[in-house]
Amino acid sequence: MPLLPKKKVGIVACSGEEMPEGAVSRVAALQVLERLRPNDTVTICLPLFLAGGEGDRAFARFYPTVAIDGCEKRCAARATEMYSGKPAASIVVTDVVAGNGLGPIRGSRQLNEAGIQAADLVAQEVARLVDGLLGRTGREVAEVAVAEPEAGPEVPEDEEAAISLCSCGSGIPVQKVAVNGRVVTLIALPAIFEQFYQTGKRPGDGTTRELLEMTRIYNPIPSEEEAAYAEALAREYEKFCQKQEAG
Amino acid sequence: MKGKVVVVPCSGIGKTFGTVSREAAYTVAEELRPDATELAALSLLVLGDEETRAFVAGHPTITIDGCRLACATKMVQESGLPVARSFTVLDAFRKHRDLKPEGISSLNPEGQRLARVLAEEVAEAVDDLQEKT
Repeated sequence: MPLLPKKKVGIVACSGEEMPEGAVSRVAALQVLERLRPNDTVTICLPLFLAGGEGDRAFARFYPTVAIDGCEKRCAARATEMYSGKPAASIVVTDVVAGNGLGPIRGSRQLNEAGIQAADLVAQEVARLVDGLLGRTGREVAEVAVAEPEAGPEVPEDEEAAISLCSCGSGIPVQKVAVNGRVVTLIALPAIFEQFYQTGKRPGDGTTRELLEMTRIYNPIPSEEEAAYAEALAREYEKFCQKQEAG
Repeated sequence: MKGKVVVVPCSGIGKTFGTVSREAAYTVAEELRPDATELAALSLLVLGDEETRAFVAGHPTITIDGCRLACATKMVQESGLPVARSFTVLDAFRKHRDLKPEGISSLNPEGQRLARVLAEEVAEAVDDLQEKT
């Protein structure tokens, strides 16, 4: 298996703007992401996820997710299950409010006191869920320092280009490849190429077959298109190797 | 009485431009045109909530996207519903380069001003759409 990024937990918040409980889900998610567990969590952007964002969907296929929903409609949990996999854990704001006897929540833009309390409670519960999923039970729910980010791809200075990176930041590498005249996004392909290259595998029929099998683990490859995918993988791997050798 | 206009913001929580889009939507719905607009959540629409879908279908819809991926606009359209007007934070920023937004949980003053400027544009569009209905 290719070496994929450090295990983190994806946080999917419903963020429903039309109801205060949606604001609670958003505020709680940001508390976890920015203060309680900044080094262990990433946000999964729900609109991008729904719109087909491969980075976000890929993350949720590889790593555990916690869905935070405002109400019983559970849009975040349902969307995650529909497009990637069942969330590892799920929390509903209205349940937390009822379970803790909090007063009515008001204010989508600026939460009232009950809303702020609810967001705090939800965030703490999500932090505990994150710890459980990462095997760190018993850890105190408190703010932690943000680790220095590892060197990553440089963000382009041009804001349009930078914004086009607006996925979850999951770290799962994806690569766009032309197959049968259309562009498909293949999850983990750069990591697979890197691993093949590092283990001394060079372009050739045998390597292409292995590439196809490894790529299939992470991506659906229709049987009728196997030959086209194999051709595309061979072509892209050839380019990858040439680039490596050129230094 | 004139009909309401639906406003659908981007909903993203991880990036500054998403925060600006949401702030602009709230400014329209709560301050500038509270009686003329209603917010609708993208996730409910995409996941097929009948009530949300019926409401959006029955009113002109304005989308406010954070970036050029235009998730809000695309998803309203992919739900089979028309978008009457679409705005993006990126376009607003292009017109107001001095208002560089920063922050996610809370926007810097420039980001708040950018949201306000965008909200005012959206409010004008609300008025136009109401005139036509």
